[in-house]
Amino acid sequence: ETVGKFFQADIAENALKNSLETEIPTVSVLVDEEFLPFRENTFDLVVSSLSLHWVNDLPRALEQIHYVLKPDGVFIGAMFGGDTLYELRCSLQLAEMEREGGFSPHISPFTAVNDLGHLLGRAGFNTLTVDTDEIQVNYPGMFELMEDLQGMGESNCSWNRKALLHRNTMLAAAAVYREMYRNEDGSVPATYQIYYMIGWKYHESQARPAKRGSATVSFGELGKINIPEGEKSQ
Amino acid sequence: MSANGAVWGRVRSRLRAFPERLAACGAEAAAYGRCVQASTAPGGRLSKDLCAREFEALRSCFAAAAKKTLEGGC
Repeated sequence: ETVGKFFQADIAENALKNSLETEIPTVSVLVDEEFLPFRENTFDLVVSSLSLHWVNDLPRALEQIHYVLKPDGVFIGAMFGGDTLYELRCSLQLAEMEREGGFSPHISPFTAVNDLGHLLGRAGFNTLTVDTDEIQVNYPGMFELMEDLQGMGESNCSWNRKALLHRNTMLAAAAVYREMYRNEDGSVPATYQIYYMIGWKYHESQARPAKRGSATVSFGELGKINIPEGEKSQ
Repeated sequence: MSANGAVWGRVRSRLRAFPERLAACGAEAAAYGRCVQASTAPGGRLSKDLCAREFEALRSCFAAAAKKTLEGGC
């Protein structure tokens, strides 16, 4: 009820075409995240869900998001973190090392959670919240996991990736994955680590951290606080 | 990508049978996995073909399983 108009932006045309129907008036825009074609202070809310790991220049994309937000507007995002699919990464690395004597990247680079806070701050966001969560999904085996990733459109896409994964290496990696990580019931886990972030565009009405030395109450008195029902505390 | 899907189709159908054949070679796979995992312990070093013997056992088991499923009707 609160959304007046909804803009869907993606660099992939097929992603836009695949989106669900909704009652909210929606405009689909084919854009590059690093160069959003909107004027400054256009949007109340920008949401990004599990797609920022594909952006090449993340600092610039975050700056763009900040630019198009109205003052007191908010950016809410979720993106994949560095521990995502570590089981797959390790299994492939070990197998490639043993079978081929070296290894090449098979997974897109991730951002570290500390860097994320800095990036949001540098982009101009105020009152940051960064949180991390891990979801473990069980698969019958490594191959089913890779099929699932392909279906999600998450296959490896870096410029320096090897063109093909040798069948022997894939077999070796599947064996390593199973031996090193399998669950009791025979399935194998895959970890998806997600960073959740919230950043606000500055507005005078927003709360700001108080000046140093201006405290009137000490933390030691916390035990003495007795908040009556219905009263908010600040 | 190829213009006709024939080659890709064959590759994909071979890949799809992968988990079934791997399941038939559980012992060999576990032996290979253990060998590789052992090299990750402190003091170990993983070099090319360190576990070649175990892998060869796995590979031949896998190939045998492939022949079996082919004969069973594909």
